[in-house]
Amino acid sequence: MSEVFRWSRAFSVARKEVRHVWRDPFTLAWSIGLPLILVIFFGYAIDFNVRDVQLNIADRDNTRASRQFLQQFSSSQYFKLKHVKPGENVRRDLDQERIKGVLIIEPGFGRAVGAKQPTTVQLLLDGADNSTVGIIIGYVAGIQKAVQQKLYGERKIMPLQMKSRFLFNQEQSSQWFIVPGLVVIVVGLLSILLTALTVAREWENGSMELLLSTPVKPLEIILGKLAPYLVIVLISAGLVYLIARFQFGIPFRGSHLLFVGGVILFLTLCLAQGLLISVITRQQQLAMMLSFISGLLPTLLLSGFIFPIESMPKFFYYFTYILAPRWFMVISRGLFLKGAGIYELAEPLLMLLLLNIILVVVAIKSFKQDMEP
Amino acid sequence: MSKAPPLVVDVQDLTIRFGSFVAVNRISFSVKQGEIFGFLGANGAGKTTTIRMLCGLLIPNEGEAYISGISIHQDVQAIKTKVGYMSQHFTLYNDLTVAENLAFAADLRKLEETALEKRKKELFQFVDFTYPEKILVKNLPGGVKQQISLATAILHDPDIIFLDEPTAGVAPLVRAKFWKLINKLARAGKTVFVTTHYLDEAEQCDRIALMRDGEIIALDTPKKLKQKTFPEPLLEIEPPLGASRSWMDKLKVDPKIAVIQAYGRRYHVLVKNGKEWKKISRKLPRDYLLRKIQPSLEDVFIRQVEGDPA
Amino acid sequence: MNQTIRGFIKKEFIQVFRDKRMLVLLFIAPIIQLTLFGYAISNEVRNIRLAVQFQPGDSMARHIEERALASGWFVPATGEGDPFVLVQSGRAEVVLVAPPKGLTTALRSGGGEIQVLLDATNMIRARGIEQYLQAIIWEVLAGEFPQQDLKPVLNINTRVLYNPAMKTSYFLVPGVMVVLMCLLTVIMTSMSIVREREIGTFETLVTAPVRNWEILLGKTLPFVILALVQVTLILIAAVLIFGLPMQSPLWKFYLAAFMFICTTVAIGTMISTMSRTQQQAMMGSFLFMFPGILLSGMMFPLENMPKAIMGIAYLNPLKYFLTLLRNILLKGGDDWVFWSNLGALALLAVVAMAFSFNRFKQTLN
Repeated sequence: MSEVFRWSRAFSVARKEVRHVWRDPFTLAWSIGLPLILVIFFGYAIDFNVRDVQLNIADRDNTRASRQFLQQFSSSQYFKLKHVKPGENVRRDLDQERIKGVLIIEPGFGRAVGAKQPTTVQLLLDGADNSTVGIIIGYVAGIQKAVQQKLYGERKIMPLQMKSRFLFNQEQSSQWFIVPGLVVIVVGLLSILLTALTVAREWENGSMELLLSTPVKPLEIILGKLAPYLVIVLISAGLVYLIARFQFGIPFRGSHLLFVGGVILFLTLCLAQGLLISVITRQQQLAMMLSFISGLLPTLLLSGFIFPIESMPKFFYYFTYILAPRWFMVISRGLFLKGAGIYELAEPLLMLLLLNIILVVVAIKSFKQDMEP
Repeated sequence: MSKAPPLVVDVQDLTIRFGSFVAVNRISFSVKQGEIFGFLGANGAGKTTTIRMLCGLLIPNEGEAYISGISIHQDVQAIKTKVGYMSQHFTLYNDLTVAENLAFAADLRKLEETALEKRKKELFQFVDFTYPEKILVKNLPGGVKQQISLATAILHDPDIIFLDEPTAGVAPLVRAKFWKLINKLARAGKTVFVTTHYLDEAEQCDRIALMRDGEIIALDTPKKLKQKTFPEPLLEIEPPLGASRSWMDKLKVDPKIAVIQAYGRRYHVLVKNGKEWKKISRKLPRDYLLRKIQPSLEDVFIRQVEGDPA
Repeated sequence: MNQTIRGFIKKEFIQVFRDKRMLVLLFIAPIIQLTLFGYAISNEVRNIRLAVQFQPGDSMARHIEERALASGWFVPATGEGDPFVLVQSGRAEVVLVAPPKGLTTALRSGGGEIQVLLDATNMIRARGIEQYLQAIIWEVLAGEFPQQDLKPVLNINTRVLYNPAMKTSYFLVPGVMVVLMCLLTVIMTSMSIVREREIGTFETLVTAPVRNWEILLGKTLPFVILALVQVTLILIAAVLIFGLPMQSPLWKFYLAAFMFICTTVAIGTMISTMSRTQQQAMMGSFLFMFPGILLSGMMFPLENMPKAIMGIAYLNPLKYFLTLLRNILLKGGDDWVFWSNLGALALLAVVAMAFSFNRFKQTLN
């Protein structure tokens, strides 16, 4: 390169981009409004603590014991019971997805309980939706213990009691689990999409060639074009933080400095990813598809947001090492809920830094190469 | 109608507003068959908007226009079969070949394949297109792209052709070639509307409408426009090299003079009374050259569009 | 067929097939994604990093640790030290702390208590872990004290229907299918009409004497066809790779897929009639797809959402198609479920189509 990098030129590219964003209030409203809506919406909408699970009851025994047994189910708050008339097809409602399961008590239940003999009750569950099945099975296990104690007396006490402490999220609240994760989702999505599209648009309508005919250097274009979006996404992240703290009362137990550092590392990485996408595609439609495939889906599905990374098969577990949202997820949750410090977060921070450097270098290189024939 | 040539476009009090902005304000004119009709005006004067209304792409708020006898409020689809429109934007698909672009345009107009093949040959000959038709449009030079745009616009052999700045950003040689095509179309009995920035092109129109701020401020043949705008002779003064401006400044306040306009080193001067021009010449220092000239359209344009208190 | 619409189909196909990158994104990427997500994602609780802290010689505690690790659910945590820090740093997800005297002695003297520290950041997982531990401790105790009959006398025999092995892939693959289909239809259609406006070719369309419905149908039909090809590929992959039991006749699958494609294509068109630039169209698609994915039932249970949000979920075509797919692929389809969800999709499609048709203008105002 014959000339050196000049901040003034990068700055004027940035000014042009700011004017762009400013003149299109839709973009601005979207970048600020969407995160707000998402966080509030999903903070309230998502609750893994399933209540009022609909069960059909076929009580073919109909004794005092069977009624006591069912009493335990209905008083648990978890289940809503509906008795089926004798002779009616118990599975029809299940097939039609009106209910989650059927509980069948065969005749002889009361007699067995009276004689303190072992007996069995059947529970059929709809396994097509196993996001709830696991949870329901857990509830049933708890009720089983209680009801056994009630019907058979106190004779079976475990000699060894578990005293569990649910650290970092004592109330076992879904919001505490979800909302710090949404920070990752919002930052990742906004930054990848916005950059991928603005740069691709520049290619598509030919104004990139105009920029190239001026003495502006590639690096200046990159910095100038991306800086406004960096600011926008930082503001969005700040908003998500405020909502998390004050709307949902989620604690923030770690260092704010680390949080800001983590956000910036992750954010610049996503901007670089967006840039790379636009260089590869140069067309908005393709850029959008690729952003979804390489940004949205992995961020939602492979980052540990909902589906735990630990449960993945070995190969995929190590595959997630190259995914930035996975590491930022650990950092965000660690800082919000666990109060983790730089020592505890050393691994994710280093990985994020490493990925950041690699992606930024590759993006800048390919952008430059693309522009200098 | 027995009288020839018939009116093909008849516009009365056409008005369109975008919000509170009046883009075109009560314009009226009519155009005969075979005419080359030019729209001249600055950017934003309302030329493109007018053309788009006449093609049925914009719906006017008030007024009426008949295209080949059909009202634009009545049957836009029928009008679209009669007119061809070449936008000032590039409207071909860059990622399709020339043949594919034309085939798609033919499908849009439900032109049968055999008819298309025949018409394509005619058009390629007409615009003098010598590239293979399987070439991607994006690989064509700018002037050829314009030719293909024109070919696409007149694929269905329309009676009226609207060309919106067809030669913008095209090399002079290509422009001249393009105007030959326009003349050829007119000779074939087509009515051609052209908007342009180039005044030399406007000279080639049969009639010109000058537009400013959404209104037609003058409409006539180039010759009559000049006569009407400059009933008095137009003078050109050429000061010697290195002359100071002070003398000309003095002349500007002379009550006999209507307008003085700088043209580079020279000045175009309009006197209030034609007979007085000799008096002025006597006043001039000897090394100042003064001559009577024919007004160009540029003079007309400046005087009409940019306006003056005279 | 109408020549104009045929022309549109030809033109869109040429454009798509000329761009090799688009082909890869449309037909190869979905298969890779399906495989990736289908294999990788699971909400089973597995590979739990466990640390058990006990005095040397506490055979009971060691026994519990061995049994846990042997169960396959647990893996040893790395590092030692303060149990709280172990969990905080993520090196362990659960730490069992035996009483200082040792579990063995505690049990001999009549009963003991074992401390369990769980990482409840993901509280679903934490609950699962607690259940597993309970079961393991109970097993160990049953082995240690065979004279005490610890077997439960009251069994609840749970049978999980339609997916007895509780395979996560059975549950997730239909979800991923829905998302991938939606990507193609919504993004491509919403952006493609606006794209013509942006690059100027829209003027070519509207200067020709074409009807509104011809343009709308011509611009959308190619994507319906592409999406049907794509769904076929995805279905083949789902059945071949993940062994999804195709429980219903194929026509039911295609009818459902066709209806869903029509709905999402109509929604894409609706978005494009409301946008002036591709960027706005993509924001609009995003605004639809993101909640659409999250409220489809693929990731979260929908049952106990607040009423207002449930209302929104009822407008979500992804939810209906997911229900249909699970029904068709896994359950063998109850007719009522099939037709009611199909009807809901059709209704959404009609509304979206009517809306786009009303909004679509050939004028450039």
